[in-house]
Amino acid sequence: MKPDKASRQLARQLYTLSLAADGRVSPERVTGILACLEKNPPPRRHLPTLKAFRALVATALARGEARIEHAGPVSAATIQTIAAAMTARYGRPIAPSAKPNPALLAGIRVRVGDDLYDTSVSARLAGLAAREG
Amino acid sequence: MSIIEQIEAQITQLSTRATKRNTGTIRAVADGVATIDGLSAVMYNEMVRFPGGAIGIALNLGETEVGTIVLGDISQLKEGDEVQTTGRLLSVPVGKTLLGRVVDALGNPVDGKGPLDAKETYPVERIAPGIIARKSVSQALFTGIMAIDSMIPIGRGQRELIIGDRGTGKTAIAIDTIINQAKINKIGLASGDPKFRPVYSIYVAVGQKNSNIVRTLSTLEAAGALDYTIIVAAPAADNPANQYIAPYAGAAMGEWFMENDMDALIVYDDLSKHAVAYRQICLILKRPSGREAYPGDVFYLHSRLLERAARLDGKGSLTALPIVETQAGDVSAYIPTNIISITDGQIFLETDLFNQGTRPAVSVGLSVSRVGSAAQIKATKQVGGKLKGELAQFRELAAFAQFGSDLDARTKAQLDRGSRIVELFKQPAAAPIPIEQQVVTLWAMQNGYYDDLALKTVAPAAASLRKFFTARQTALLDEIRTQAKLDATTEARLKTAADEWKTTQPKT
Repeated sequence: MKPDKASRQLARQLYTLSLAADGRVSPERVTGILACLEKNPPPRRHLPTLKAFRALVATALARGEARIEHAGPVSAATIQTIAAAMTARYGRPIAPSAKPNPALLAGIRVRVGDDLYDTSVSARLAGLAAREG
Repeated sequence: MSIIEQIEAQITQLSTRATKRNTGTIRAVADGVATIDGLSAVMYNEMVRFPGGAIGIALNLGETEVGTIVLGDISQLKEGDEVQTTGRLLSVPVGKTLLGRVVDALGNPVDGKGPLDAKETYPVERIAPGIIARKSVSQALFTGIMAIDSMIPIGRGQRELIIGDRGTGKTAIAIDTIINQAKINKIGLASGDPKFRPVYSIYVAVGQKNSNIVRTLSTLEAAGALDYTIIVAAPAADNPANQYIAPYAGAAMGEWFMENDMDALIVYDDLSKHAVAYRQICLILKRPSGREAYPGDVFYLHSRLLERAARLDGKGSLTALPIVETQAGDVSAYIPTNIISITDGQIFLETDLFNQGTRPAVSVGLSVSRVGSAAQIKATKQVGGKLKGELAQFRELAAFAQFGSDLDARTKAQLDRGSRIVELFKQPAAAPIPIEQQVVTLWAMQNGYYDDLALKTVAPAAASLRKFFTARQTALLDEIRTQAKLDATTEARLKTAADEWKTTQPKT
């Protein structure tokens, strides 16, 4: 269920507090906020606030991470090249995380936040199937 | 598609570069609406792609979620499925290849006649033409219904509402108009006149029973009107999102004709059900509801649709006939008042008149065309200019006369004349009368040719007069149609012919 407006507002304030000077989410600040919330839970809004806070933090973390899925072996140098390209593209530091995915058949798929870069064979086949109807 | 676009399409297919898409995941799906987490870069009204080929339109852009309507089959969608943006607006195929076809709200054929060979697509949502691009409505669009063409004339580019309770013949008026356009098109195109402008029709069925749509289709097919008509079907069993988008899809198809220097007529049957489908979507999207639980932008929903009907300067026209169903004749309900205020007039159909056998059951007092006689040919003005006033007087007198039996001769004459006009305007469905025959019928009435007839025989006599003219006076009818006015010579010929017809009639 969607959190209520007050919980979302509180979560947004907590999220602002959890940002470090460089605009990125600081793990230390998040830990501090969680400890504070545990000690002084907002009345009737603890769970929805935490859920909304989690969604905001997860979105922020995903924006700073390039999740690379690959079908075959990918060298560490390639992963670093992708991360560097994404950092240059988005103008913010992007950390890479690689994970094998045989379902892609060949090629790689990179996800940064909501953006998806796909060169996989499975995506091309799906596109072809959609075009052929 | 231009040559450059064709080359670019080929390049896109061969390119091996990574494609960038903005994605999100489905959080909830309900009745044609999906709530999606993510899609941070989606634009308002942008088309999004669901797994399995279903497409959606982003309608609610929230901080962390996006509300979309889903067009197509939603049964395959589930929570957690990935959704992608497309960077495009929803478009439908347009062009003459759609004529004679039945398509769904997305322009996919549903008539089993094979795929469409449409070369172009138009966006479903489009900004209506502005002030400078428009031209005032001055060309007639004949419905073939005598009561309408003579008293509530419709012009090309006009928006005329057809309003009434259920079962009062609203759809029949729209279908008759479509059939009449087809008849005029056939005659005009066969004549080879370079100035002739055919009118193509689009019938948008929203929230109707499939059986009704089939009946309409058969009527059009039987009358030979389907070749000039596109049917956009979003039946009652269809997803509400399809019902919501269907009128806009139909408008896009009509706009193609208008933009390409042709004239088109679009019937929205009906906008009450369209508003209900939109209300359903908005309630699921949790948009704040207002009067009768409709969302705040229900006026804009219809105004932006109907404003797309226009007559363009140097181009064609799109005439709109929206239909609205009232409950117990209440025209002051929310949706009827909204649409009355948007349109350029309304044809109000009364249940009482319908039950009395006056069909089409047009209420002359409540019906109006704001374009007025600007959209009438001179011949109709000459023979029917005073009819509306005469009928209004008759209704008033008829109501008054119910209370007393002693009436003076003048009042009796007025009542008699009024009831003859009412009889004359009775017309069966799917039998539109060509304008030249309407002129002859009304001319005969103005000149007292039906005065000595019994009331019940007025309509058959008028039909017999039309038959007589069709069989024996084709040249005269052609002259009235092409000249569009009655001069002294034409009137003299009319008189001679009518006198000849009168001799064939049995004495009463």
